[in-house]
Amino acid sequence: METPLPEAVRTGVRDLVLVLADSKRLLGMRYAEWMLGAPELEASIACSSMAQDEWGHARLLYALLRDFGEDVSHIEHGREAHEYYNIELLDRAAGSWPDLVALNALVDTALTIQLEALRESAYAPVRQRVGKLLEEERFHGAHAAAWVSRFARSSARARDAMAGALQRILPDVLRWFGPDSPSVSLVPAGIVDAEGSALRVRLAERVAPLFEAVGLTAAVTEPDFTGFDEARRRTSRSGPDPDTLARIRGDKNRVFLMD
Amino acid sequence: MVYEVFARKSRGEPLRHIGNVNAPDDQLARVYAYTTYDEEKWFDMWVVPRDRMIQVFNRGDAEPSAPAQKRAERGEAAATQGA
Repeated sequence: METPLPEAVRTGVRDLVLVLADSKRLLGMRYAEWMLGAPELEASIACSSMAQDEWGHARLLYALLRDFGEDVSHIEHGREAHEYYNIELLDRAAGSWPDLVALNALVDTALTIQLEALRESAYAPVRQRVGKLLEEERFHGAHAAAWVSRFARSSARARDAMAGALQRILPDVLRWFGPDSPSVSLVPAGIVDAEGSALRVRLAERVAPLFEAVGLTAAVTEPDFTGFDEARRRTSRSGPDPDTLARIRGDKNRVFLMD
Repeated sequence: MVYEVFARKSRGEPLRHIGNVNAPDDQLARVYAYTTYDEEKWFDMWVVPRDRMIQVFNRGDAEPSAPAQKRAERGEAAATQGA
């Protein structure tokens, strides 16, 4: 039997699980939006496969919230936009294929790096599941890397579109890891092995080859944390846009919800 | 470019052909093979560009392969070759 976590740490773990679950739920939806209309059939199939992985992970993570006294059905179907904890880059659909590849390259990888920081977690329910999740993520990064390098070898216009998409979202992805000295650190309790800039550096190192391929460098700059909500890991007070919210909550299917 | 996909369920089992994917390069071919055929639990998976596969022979060739040629010389009809 492991020692119970102090209350502040428990809340921090609950918030982190919800951040990961909501982000994976939304990322799965962003992939699914390209199951029709990706540049080639195989890319559509890849999006479908990655969407299924993310949704499976989200479901597993939501289920962990029962430990914290949460009503999981309410969490999945009953929240308003401002109650979502997803990374704000997923609030709306990716506008173009390079934008989707950039989410695949940076947001998906950021979620993976956050999971890796939980590998040896003192919070057993996460520690016991994280290996399976990471195993299923293996080809998500490979998909992003293969597409970025394809854009890099393509026309100057295509390469610039890819470079622009990566550069636009990098600051928000880096900020998502939170401040170096958060109000509740999860490192001393052994929940995570690192937070803040240590994770920013891991992400930058992981994606450096992609940035170099399109003529950029993945520089880690100190994020602007003005207005940053540490629990939700967002600066925007709102949440997913109305169309997204209706779809992730399953508003059209409410009548079919069963106990 | 077409890549043929091979996989096996366990170590030591023969590789078997499970399908193919279209991909512009080896890197995407690996990803597409995985995401297309990941429904089953494979031990390992391989891709090879179709145009890099070298045919040894084919019993259906218009130009008879060596074994078919020998049978033909012995007067056996192609239709009676069986499996």
